[in-house]
Amino acid sequence: MTDAVLMLAQADFPTPMGVLTLNHYLFVSTAMFALGLIGFMTRRNLIIMFLCTELMFQAAGLALIAFGRYHLNFDGQTFVIFILTIAAAEAAMALALVVLLFRRRESLDADLWAELKG
Amino acid sequence: MNTAIAELPINPLLLYVACVLGAIGVILAMPRKGVSPMVFGGLLAAAAGGLIVLGLTSHAERHAQTPSIFFYIFGLLALGAGLRMITHPKPVYAALYFILTIIASSGLYLLLSAEFMAFALIIIYAGAILITYLFVIMLATLPPSEDDMDALATYDASAREPIVATFAGFTLLAVLTTMLFRGTLSLPVRHGMDSSDAILSKLPGKVEDNLSASLHAAELMTPEEHIARQVDVGRVWIDSARRRVLVSRGENTAGPDQGELVRWVDVPAEMWPADMVGTNVEGVGLNLLADHPMTIEIAGVILLMAMLGATVLARKQVDLEEEAKARQARHLALDVVAEDVG
Amino acid sequence: MRMTTITEAIISAALAQHGSSGAGEAVAAHAAGVAEHAGAALTSVDGPMWLGLIPLLPLLGVVIIAILACFNDKSKLPAWISVGLIGVSFILTLVTYLGWDGHSVIHTRLWEWIGLSWGDHPGQTLSSGFAFYFDGLSLLWMLFVTGLAALIGLYASEYMEHDLGLGYCRFFAAFCLFVFSMSCLVMGDNLLMLFLGWEGVGLCSYLLIGYFYKKKTAVDAGMKAFIVNRVGDLGLLMGMLLTFTTFGTVEYDALFTQIHAGTTASGVPLADTWQVWAIPLLLMGGAFGKSAQMFFYVWLPDAMEGPTPVSALIHAATMVTAGVYLVARMMPLYTADPNHVALTAVTWGGTITAFWAATIAMAQYDIKRIMGYSTISQLGYMFAGLGVLATTGGVFHVFTHAFFKATLFLACGAVMHGFAGQLDMRKLSGLWKIPGFQITVIAMLIGCLNLSGFPFTGGYFSKDMIIAEAFVTPDSVIWGSSWAGWLLLLTAGLTAYYTFRVFFRVFVGPVVYEPGEDLHGDAEHFHPHGPKWAINLVLTLLAVGCIASAGLYFVGGEHGWTGGMVHASSAVVETGHGKHGLLFGKNPHEIMFYISAVFGFGGILLAAWFHGPVGLAGLLIGNRTKADVVRMDPIARAIRPISTWAEHKWYVDEFYHLVLVTPLKVFAYLFSWFDKLVVDGLVNLFGGMPKVGSDVIGETTQTGVLHDYAQRMIAGVAVVLVVVVLVVF
Repeated sequence: MTDAVLMLAQADFPTPMGVLTLNHYLFVSTAMFALGLIGFMTRRNLIIMFLCTELMFQAAGLALIAFGRYHLNFDGQTFVIFILTIAAAEAAMALALVVLLFRRRESLDADLWAELKG
Repeated sequence: MNTAIAELPINPLLLYVACVLGAIGVILAMPRKGVSPMVFGGLLAAAAGGLIVLGLTSHAERHAQTPSIFFYIFGLLALGAGLRMITHPKPVYAALYFILTIIASSGLYLLLSAEFMAFALIIIYAGAILITYLFVIMLATLPPSEDDMDALATYDASAREPIVATFAGFTLLAVLTTMLFRGTLSLPVRHGMDSSDAILSKLPGKVEDNLSASLHAAELMTPEEHIARQVDVGRVWIDSARRRVLVSRGENTAGPDQGELVRWVDVPAEMWPADMVGTNVEGVGLNLLADHPMTIEIAGVILLMAMLGATVLARKQVDLEEEAKARQARHLALDVVAEDVG
Repeated sequence: MRMTTITEAIISAALAQHGSSGAGEAVAAHAAGVAEHAGAALTSVDGPMWLGLIPLLPLLGVVIIAILACFNDKSKLPAWISVGLIGVSFILTLVTYLGWDGHSVIHTRLWEWIGLSWGDHPGQTLSSGFAFYFDGLSLLWMLFVTGLAALIGLYASEYMEHDLGLGYCRFFAAFCLFVFSMSCLVMGDNLLMLFLGWEGVGLCSYLLIGYFYKKKTAVDAGMKAFIVNRVGDLGLLMGMLLTFTTFGTVEYDALFTQIHAGTTASGVPLADTWQVWAIPLLLMGGAFGKSAQMFFYVWLPDAMEGPTPVSALIHAATMVTAGVYLVARMMPLYTADPNHVALTAVTWGGTITAFWAATIAMAQYDIKRIMGYSTISQLGYMFAGLGVLATTGGVFHVFTHAFFKATLFLACGAVMHGFAGQLDMRKLSGLWKIPGFQITVIAMLIGCLNLSGFPFTGGYFSKDMIIAEAFVTPDSVIWGSSWAGWLLLLTAGLTAYYTFRVFFRVFVGPVVYEPGEDLHGDAEHFHPHGPKWAINLVLTLLAVGCIASAGLYFVGGEHGWTGGMVHASSAVVETGHGKHGLLFGKNPHEIMFYISAVFGFGGILLAAWFHGPVGLAGLLIGNRTKADVVRMDPIARAIRPISTWAEHKWYVDEFYHLVLVTPLKVFAYLFSWFDKLVVDGLVNLFGGMPKVGSDVIGETTQTGVLHDYAQRMIAGVAVVLVVVVLVVF
């Protein structure tokens, strides 16, 4: 198993990656990001909305790693570590908020909260 | 920046048609009250994705830069699970589909030679964050009623303005891909920056541990010689491809141009350890600690703040009214008096 | 005549340098016409740095007192600090004077204050050090400024004691700041330093006039003083700027050298330029503003709203003489004009003001205000003295006036202090017989004798020098100077009259008194309280000073001590002795003693006749038995329009109100409406449009729902990116 994984990972490392290959990954990343956005806009469940933001994080992370591979350095991966941190922090905060909001209204419907109405 | 269409990785027309198709698919796949053509929508979206992949692949074949078959598997899996995640009415399933997305993403990370991040992703996301989500879903869901165990909450049952949202989302997708596909053409290409040797050169201890003893034993290196370290940054010179390493007689050295004091030693194949490579984890670690130490600090502070914030937010709210407090105080006072009298 | 030769040498050097025969002749002719002398010809020595302590010690006092004020100090400590530090300043000045060789300028440069340069040509470098310039003139001024300030500070320590803890710190902080500013004004070695001090004393004057800031009249008086001074200061500022553009420097040394060379910085002969009369006239505007001359006099009588020590120090002895100092200091500039336009203006401005203010003083009843008008009048004498080229007389009069006017004010202050603010001469009489006021009365008498020019007092000698010089200076040099002399003589008589009018009515005669408006308690049981040791000590010292100042006429050279001091300064002027004017065929200097004594005695006798009480105190010719009935009353009634007009200061204030203030108010009113309707209207219109717009938009778009915002944000980003792609790619 380990060998298989290593083989997969180090298949052509450190051979440079072509622009076209990069574009493939970027397309997946962009599409994932768009899906996250659409989910955020359409779903009314607070928890799913936050899941959608996580999806967008994922998309950003994928793009970073792809670019890092293209440039053959580790900066992209380092920043994905940072993204993971932010995601964890965000999850903690957001979920605490969700719990709080749920306690107030007994519902996860984001549209119930319209205190900012002008 | 007018780029010829032929140079583009995909024909823009094909891209936009696919985007429109995908948008229609996603709209159809959205949960709605009454009859919902979810399956049809999913298929349509998949077809659109396939169209783009086809477009990219056909072009890539011309340049012989097709990514491996695993890319297509993981990519499709990630996007499909993502689509299902945003369209599934039940939060628990959405979370589970998200885990699938994560796993597929980590597969993509592997393909991009980021093994450490791939496994970290699974451990942190799938293992920690998503479990937290599942807990919160459990905490923040009303218990189902007796007569209908599968009843959905109204806000889960139908999507909110799916057409507008999807249109906006896919417009963004089309625009972003257009920009990226054209922008990447002008990216500078740099080769071999972080090859195994580059990592090893920053790890003099590892090189010395692996080579010094055997080189001394084989008398390829005189007793007063040692593997050369660069004066200021502590790097070593090593060339894995030709299996040789720079040694010196002085304490330190400034580079290979030092003449008699330094020389390259060719190491026989049997003496070259199998694990004499700079691994991905070492690379990430070096990069994180040497090049971006501030990132760690900031991340630490953010995590601390998030921990405090979550603690403050989630603690049980005790907001008694002033009057109630006063009443409570009076009540306690009376109790004390009663005890005294008693 | 040593200095004449030096001047001629400088002029001939300038001629040789410029080689312009026509201009040279003009300069030479000018030099021959009226010989004037050179501050620049004085030798220069470097002074020690501790001279800087003279102004900086009072400034330190300001800081310390401000700190005390922060700690809400309620003791008399601020007064002792002020008196101590100013006293040290005085001692340092005295030491400087004693160590001075009597004929050189002491320069001390503390630091470079302003140093700008925007080119290499003359007039493109503005340099002004925080530096001091000690010649006879500034030493003389500094001696009486610091000396009197220390004494008056001591006086104020008692006088202000009813304000302990309330405004005591504020008073003494401003007091010390005043001494600092005045020192900068006098000691500065350039016009910028003078201007710094000039504005500083103006500020302190404003602060101290408005000391009783809860009293509307005091606040108004402070503002009036400030605003009237602004008009004069404009003249000073323009004069300074013109000096700089003309001579390329504002430093006295360089300036005087330039003036004596007889050319501007660009080499044009000075006599041909318009600046030669414009600069002195503009500077005169500033001087007249600060010294309350001509049209500017209106602020000084109102300034009597301030505490009496302030009136004594700032508005009688020191600050108001800053104008005289400016003219005396700039004397080379004034005499540089061959036609003496500015000097004639100074002469007549001073003379008319002296006469005018004396007539007003004759009709006033408030004794402190009388002293105020008397100050204006005496300042007029000083200017007249400078104008008729009698700088020694003018400066000597500044010196004697500082002492006797401070004495008079402080005596009035002692009265005011003892009678709860009562100053109306119709309600006070016979102070001599009230216990505790004897020293006050004696000091008052000495002051009055000095002011009225009684023979062998300081005021007598200094006034005589001025009037005599007015006759000496030919009318061809200063237009109508002998007429000015006659008017000044007449004014001397009026001065004696109004001075002794006060003395005969208030200080001798039957005992009558009413408490003033500051009374806190029962008027029936009011008892005047005589001054205590501090006031008495100061009054005694000042009275001695008054007497001693007369002695200065006899020590030193030809023109007394003051003459020596003035000769060792830039203010020195020597008129051509060949054109000595005559009075009744005799040398005016010789017979003026008798003539002015006649006028003085006449005034005193008139005052005794009209206002004197029965008995010896009224010189046996008075018949007053009550406080408010005098022989003058029927006469005043007979000439009612004139006496009423004089009592109302000839309605100058009302005239100013009609001509200046009212139109300004009308304009201000119109503009305020314009501001409200048009300017504010436009602003409100533009401000209101977003409000209306946001009301409409907000109702429809600001739903408060998260999704709506997210949707619009993402749609916005999409639109922007679409535009970017369409435009850029």
